[in-house]
Amino acid sequence: MRLSRRALLGSAIAAPTLARAQGGDPYVIGTLFPLSGPNAEYGKVFTEGVQLAMQHAQSEGMLRRPLRLQAEDTQALPQQAVVGMTKLVNVDRASYVMVGFTAVSKAVAPVGDRAKTVMVNGGAVGPDLAGLSPYFWNTIPLAHLETREMLPFMMRRNLKRVALVYVDDPLGDAILGILRNDLPRAGGQLVGSFSVPRTAQQFGPVAARIRQTRPDTVYIASFGAQQGQIIKGLRDNGVTVPLTSYSAMNLESIRNLAEAEGLLFTSQQTDFAAGDELTRRYAADFKARFGSDPGTYNTNYYNATRLFCLLAQKLERENKEVNGDTLRAALLEQKEFDLVGGRASFDEQGSMTAAIQINEVRGGRVNTVTG
Amino acid sequence: MLFLQLLLGGLQTGALYALTACGFALIFGATKVFHFAHGASFTLAGYLFLLMWNNGYPAWLGVLAAILVATGFGVAMERFVYRPIQRHEGGFFTVFVAAFGVSLVVQNLVGMWAGRGFVVADSTLSRATEVLPEVFLAPVFWVSLAVAAVLFLALGLFLTRHPAGVALRALAQNSDLIRAYGLSSHRLSLLAFALGSALAAPAAVLTAITTGMNEAVGHHVMLISMAATIVGGVGSLKGAALAGLSLGVAESVVLNFADPQWAEAASFVVLFGFILFRPSGLFGHAVAR
Repeated sequence: MRLSRRALLGSAIAAPTLARAQGGDPYVIGTLFPLSGPNAEYGKVFTEGVQLAMQHAQSEGMLRRPLRLQAEDTQALPQQAVVGMTKLVNVDRASYVMVGFTAVSKAVAPVGDRAKTVMVNGGAVGPDLAGLSPYFWNTIPLAHLETREMLPFMMRRNLKRVALVYVDDPLGDAILGILRNDLPRAGGQLVGSFSVPRTAQQFGPVAARIRQTRPDTVYIASFGAQQGQIIKGLRDNGVTVPLTSYSAMNLESIRNLAEAEGLLFTSQQTDFAAGDELTRRYAADFKARFGSDPGTYNTNYYNATRLFCLLAQKLERENKEVNGDTLRAALLEQKEFDLVGGRASFDEQGSMTAAIQINEVRGGRVNTVTG
Repeated sequence: MLFLQLLLGGLQTGALYALTACGFALIFGATKVFHFAHGASFTLAGYLFLLMWNNGYPAWLGVLAAILVATGFGVAMERFVYRPIQRHEGGFFTVFVAAFGVSLVVQNLVGMWAGRGFVVADSTLSRATEVLPEVFLAPVFWVSLAVAAVLFLALGLFLTRHPAGVALRALAQNSDLIRAYGLSSHRLSLLAFALGSALAAPAAVLTAITTGMNEAVGHHVMLISMAATIVGGVGSLKGAALAGLSLGVAESVVLNFADPQWAEAASFVVLFGFILFRPSGLFGHAVAR
């Protein structure tokens, strides 16, 4: 009995050592996504992109060391995210952390900045996320780039009187600021702005207030389950004008919502069919693994993970250590990378530039209106 | 007209709050168990209704299934969670933590099973039409008020006319005396959980039709139920019902004077007001110490 216990203990101790001998310590890829709560749908979508990119990197043998995914649940709340980030940095020694949501990103950036850990956002669009830290990068165009495309489109469609429903957090405040500044310049008018708490679920009374402003369109700046509740609340309560929004609407639950018919929203341009080899393989493998076509967020986090693999591969070839400083130096040295959707370029602040398209929800599908 | 619109919308929301709050107050009043997992009963009922609705089952069958699952969950919580804790003389905090834990487990199981997005029952009941200039009302408004009125009437009759109902009220006042009369406080506790949880089901069904569900909706339900129980006066069902209704109306009508971000805060301003100036609530009794 004693012998078998010793043998068990010995093998348990030997197993990690063996793994290290085969591949070395893994690179820890941390994620700070909502895995529970009303925004958990995003966590699932974001993680799918990361998982597929890791699968591809490992099957291609891109890196000498294995990759390990360490997920921390933020519930899209800044406090939870800071706790998760502190653990990822100090306990898990994460090389690279992926984040989403504007408030979460702004909360964890100082922690990552101090630890010189690269953080990559592929989901949040608050304009002040650019330049948040030298170690904070974006693989998603930020809100001001999305509205820059949306506003002229709205003017062309004669949607000039705009009412805004926005969530009371840094993302909502940022979009309010953009519309206040840019809408008059584009020839439109912000006829009402209605801030709602993140936990609000009843939007009938908000619809009554919006109807009074006689808008041509209602712009929704929220995220998660609340977006669907806003759309349904407005449509059920007599708001019949077109609804407009940003890339957060690119979710299955929104596509499947009958009241979302005709919803217009911006997102970055991705053409999975006419793309390069990497894009085609990504689209095919995504469908095979997850049973659905990939969306923008899947792609952003796939690209974020692949970016790490490309940078770490370059550093390994040059026999350099992989850390925040070397990753940043490698990014700024190369700046252009082959990612899903084509050649991607990054600016000095680590933000990826991408073309924006306008989409419309029709019959449970997202169709491109302009590109 | 805006005020009238907000008032009517608030009544609809308040009727649903009243049902869930009354269920929670019934359980808390009779058993003194802080049933934090009441929100989980609501979530399970709403999701089961949605499952049946989206799979083409008749609405009445979906409602019945929702009532059964909410009742079953409440009874199971009493039998398998609270009673063992109380048998081991677990305190209020132990019960609270256990209930909180179960509600988190339910939330995650629902998310894993039904997906983590927003789901809603697509029904014409929730589509409002203009009944007066600038006043929109949906059929679900009348349904909500009627369901709440019928259920409160039925509950009132049960608690005052039926021996089991009278015994439940007695349990709320003096559980020792119940045993002296040869009645089983365990059985009455089960009845309180069954009835209280069943009251959450119609509200969950109507919420699934109007605002939709997500797996975390239970926490919001619990916040409202707790607030209504305190405002109404702990142990008073009519107090909880009236407070639930008032909180719904306050949440809506406040938009006549303030921005929507103050809507939920309005409920809690009412709550703080009562805690400060009338801690015994609307229908509670002050206790001398």
